[in-house]
Amino acid sequence: MPLTGFLGIQYDFQWSVLWTGENGRWLLQGIWTTLRLSTLAWIVAWVLGILSGALRTVPFWPLRTLVTFYVEFFRNVPLLVWLFFWYFGAPQFLPRTAQDWLNLHGPEFWSAVVGLSVYHGARMSEVIRAGIQSIPKTLLEASVATGLSVGQAYRLIIIPIALRLIVPPATNESLNLLKNSSLALTIGVAELTFMSRQIETYTAKAFEALTAGTLIYLVMCLGIASVMGQVERYFRIPGLIARVGRAEH
Amino acid sequence: MRSAMRVLLLAVVVLGLAVTGWAAESTLEKINRTGVFTVGARTGSPPFAYINKQNEWVGFSVDLAKLVHKNIEKKLGKSVKFELKESAPATRIPLLSSMAVDLISGTMTDTRPRRDSVDFSITFFVTGAQFLVKEGSPIKGIQDTAGKRVGAQQGSTNERIIRERVPQAQLVVFPDQPAGFTALVQGRVDTYTNDGIQLAGIKAKAPNPAEWKIVGDFYSYEPYGMAMRKNDSDFRAVVNNALMEAIEGGEYFKLYDKWFGPKGELPYPLTDDVKRFLTYQVVPK
Repeated sequence: MPLTGFLGIQYDFQWSVLWTGENGRWLLQGIWTTLRLSTLAWIVAWVLGILSGALRTVPFWPLRTLVTFYVEFFRNVPLLVWLFFWYFGAPQFLPRTAQDWLNLHGPEFWSAVVGLSVYHGARMSEVIRAGIQSIPKTLLEASVATGLSVGQAYRLIIIPIALRLIVPPATNESLNLLKNSSLALTIGVAELTFMSRQIETYTAKAFEALTAGTLIYLVMCLGIASVMGQVERYFRIPGLIARVGRAEH
Repeated sequence: MRSAMRVLLLAVVVLGLAVTGWAAESTLEKINRTGVFTVGARTGSPPFAYINKQNEWVGFSVDLAKLVHKNIEKKLGKSVKFELKESAPATRIPLLSSMAVDLISGTMTDTRPRRDSVDFSITFFVTGAQFLVKEGSPIKGIQDTAGKRVGAQQGSTNERIIRERVPQAQLVVFPDQPAGFTALVQGRVDTYTNDGIQLAGIKAKAPNPAEWKIVGDFYSYEPYGMAMRKNDSDFRAVVNNALMEAIEGGEYFKLYDKWFGPKGELPYPLTDDVKRFLTYQVVPK
């Protein structure tokens, strides 16, 4: 389909390059790697985020300081630098045999998982802290007054409410994580952006390959946003957070 | 609301028409109209195109593009501004298609699939893929790479050849040269493969060049050409004539010596084969 004049671009679009030869398989592999990388990093980021976010609000300053250090250190250094650090730098501190073992087990992928989850864990932590701190202090005091320990109050009252409050910003953070996973191509992880570029290299069809990549990210992000919207509706506590109506995504 | 939509629609149509008229012009007409000849080149690919210590954008392919610039001025009979723009392997074809640049002059290998999207000039440089290894490595060429971790650059033709010829090699593909070389230095990969001339560049820039060795016969053929928009034979003739005149008149070899000669940025002697090939590309006057 020759398309002349659109935005001043003279270009012959050939969408069939996306599925001819090996290209279709590459795209699917790229999607699979992106999903695997993002899901693993997402789970670890949540665990790190909940732990450190909660610890930043406890009335015990050494823990707070330690966790503040983690958050500020990891979220204030660019993700790209972290990926380089975990891939090129960190393995140097391991003994030679451990390095050899790592080299045989996909160091690119695992460095990317660590880099993404530690970075996004620090960011997630702030989201969760904001959720916890938006709950009035009196609720903690009331919980403790009913005989719960501080730990129980956090586990049974504060965190469950905070988790509901933070669904929208956490959705935002999850979408960022998915899109940021594309940076893993800089350390040789063959994820979706990598594969789109690979197809571009082999076929010289840059517009088709990059458009396909973009649309796939868009679809995945919209999918996550709608699932998170469902989660928000499903878990809402009637009457507690009345101002949360139906989420529009 | 309705009329606002109509105005908007009209604006889009008018813009579309204006843009169509503009896109239909040839490259020479565009250069004549704007008075600027824009070339896409790399900034970190010495000695072809790079920013030197004096913060100037120089290199062998920049010098060749300047010869083309002179020929364009001769053809148009007026002086035209020469401008450089950064173009990476992933952006160079879109930059051409969107009229952002008029010519790509760098380290782009002329291949048949690429000819579906762009037109190439005659070949101005010839190299082939080899391997960079640490002194003492058991890898001596492509035959030893099975089961080894091989680093390669994305967008290179050699990545593809390894994939096809040695499927047992564990290929790790990096988007740029520095990442690939760092992986080799840090032991994440056993060898790094690229065009021989690129490896020579990396080796020369390494803190301790003697530590690294370039091994193996050329396992690919990489003819570098300048790329331009398709179906613009007038412009292509201007580019090719500039290159042919430079080869015929000896200016090409002077430039080659300046960058790749014994005292050049990166010594890489011209073999007799390649010299003959270059001169045979020159068609008679």
